[in-house]
Amino acid sequence: MLDGHADEISRLIEPGRVHRRVYTEPAVFELEMERIFARAWLFVGHTSQVKNVGDYMTADLGRQPVMMVRHRDGKVHVLLNRCTHRGPKVLNERCGNAKRLTCCYHGWSFDTDGKLLGVPVPEGNTATFQNDQYNLARAPRVGEYRGFVFASLSPTGPSFEDHIGPMKGNIDDLVDRAPDGELALDVGMHRYVYNGNWKLQVENVLDSYHVPFGHASTVNQQGVQFARREGDKEGAAVVEVKEKKTATSWKDRKSFIVGNGHGWTSNTELADGKRSSPAFDAYKKALVEKVGAVRAEEILKPRLHNSMIYPNMSIMGLNIHVRVIKPIAVDRTEVTIYPIRLLGAPDSMNWGNIRLLNVTHSAASFVQTDDLESFVRAQKGLRSLHTDWVDISRGLGAEDADPEINAVRGLATHELAVRAQYKAWLGYMQGAA
Amino acid sequence: MAKIDKAPFEEFLIHEARLLDDRRFRDWMALFTDDGSYWVPAVPNQDSPFNQASLFYDDRDLMKTRIDRLEHPLIHAQTPPSRTAHIIGNIVVESADDEAGKYTVVSTVMMVEYRDEQQRVFAGRQTHTLKRDGGGFRIAQKKVDLINCDSAFEAMAVPI
Repeated sequence: MLDGHADEISRLIEPGRVHRRVYTEPAVFELEMERIFARAWLFVGHTSQVKNVGDYMTADLGRQPVMMVRHRDGKVHVLLNRCTHRGPKVLNERCGNAKRLTCCYHGWSFDTDGKLLGVPVPEGNTATFQNDQYNLARAPRVGEYRGFVFASLSPTGPSFEDHIGPMKGNIDDLVDRAPDGELALDVGMHRYVYNGNWKLQVENVLDSYHVPFGHASTVNQQGVQFARREGDKEGAAVVEVKEKKTATSWKDRKSFIVGNGHGWTSNTELADGKRSSPAFDAYKKALVEKVGAVRAEEILKPRLHNSMIYPNMSIMGLNIHVRVIKPIAVDRTEVTIYPIRLLGAPDSMNWGNIRLLNVTHSAASFVQTDDLESFVRAQKGLRSLHTDWVDISRGLGAEDADPEINAVRGLATHELAVRAQYKAWLGYMQGAA
Repeated sequence: MAKIDKAPFEEFLIHEARLLDDRRFRDWMALFTDDGSYWVPAVPNQDSPFNQASLFYDDRDLMKTRIDRLEHPLIHAQTPPSRTAHIIGNIVVESADDEAGKYTVVSTVMMVEYRDEQQRVFAGRQTHTLKRDGGGFRIAQKKVDLINCDSAFEAMAVPI
């Protein structure tokens, strides 16, 4: 049984393969909760989710309940959602607005910055009791970039800048699409769960290899997927039907890795010259008015498909959304997908984006349901004791440095992004407490 | 309002549910008007399918894409396929405009789904906006408000 020693952990990862226990072993999961999810920079939420004073949202970082609250001074706090008296979650709703935060059990009451305001029957307190010893604990480290709030539950470790720096451009790529240069995650969410390990979803985000077969039911008889962007008539060519093989344009997609487990896949070129609809045209006009025609063209040129900010968040650039991955148990994972509202874009464009995301990423969507089936079947298949190893060797040794950006690149149908994730995983997991 | 005979509406809703249980998805789609829509909101009291995420919001074009996929031999999420049993009750004809041939019918729906060794239950209130079509009706909108619409779901492949 795993006792967490670095050498034992290191035996789970080999070049081009990982041990099945990283997906199936409860002791590995427990260690992940301590060494990854209680230490790493994790995405918590977006400031637009707590727009007004007193607005809050709750989340779990790993299994630890937290809250993000906007205080009277406008500052957004990330606090542990645990009463400092006997431990209940103080806030029980997913989001809301509160003047003060009151624990349901004995009525201890906290301000929106976590300060203990008062306790019932204070004459029962010990003589040395002081309110400020009992403020809600705060996440030791919090960082924000363009409204995206991240927190680390460890007081030490790589800085926010070290962690997020290589992925800032990917966040910019999304935020810059808003004519006002700002976005909001305030148009609802999709939530799904599956009986499988969290890493199955994380790996899948940068896996272009699975699409032609895994999503075979989403392409038409010409091998072309349905339209996923407002203004498109059809989506990407995925399969060359006559030859029954993956389309050449699909095989040309690239993967990029930039350290820390982060990476992204490039987009297939779509018919961008022909992209047009009343909603898209009005949006493009609004964007051009704000940033000029040249910059608008740059912004609208599809560059990124999925970007993974390891370990718990991804951004999709095709039909735009933010995805948050939450491990629940070694074989249970919950995912939240936020549609994006681009501030300054006409409602019709935002509505088009919302609508297309229903089609691809709701729990009842055409695309996500196939992935969930694969995750569930992977978790079942990995019960097999026939072999210990899961193969992630596609393109091993074929990676090369991208001379223009500080990244390593390969083909998106290869598995370099998955290998990069396990490199980061190992780094976290070998770190002693 | 004159007393409305609920029987034809009940018969229609049961027929619609039977088509879904029999996986006759194309026949089900044909019940909708050309501009008809099928909507399953993702939050309670959602007032519009446009400005927020929904579990389903299909017009006829999307319904067709969905059904093409349901009939695709490589739809992994339906291998094996779902089996469902709907029960419709508590039917109330909330509004009836015989002159315009337009009706709003609210009912309670429960759907039990079995697939791949797992059984689960969906329940909620459905609102049908119906238009008279000859001797029968067509659906201008079917909206299903699930009681757990904002929960996290395992994959859902078939309409409710």
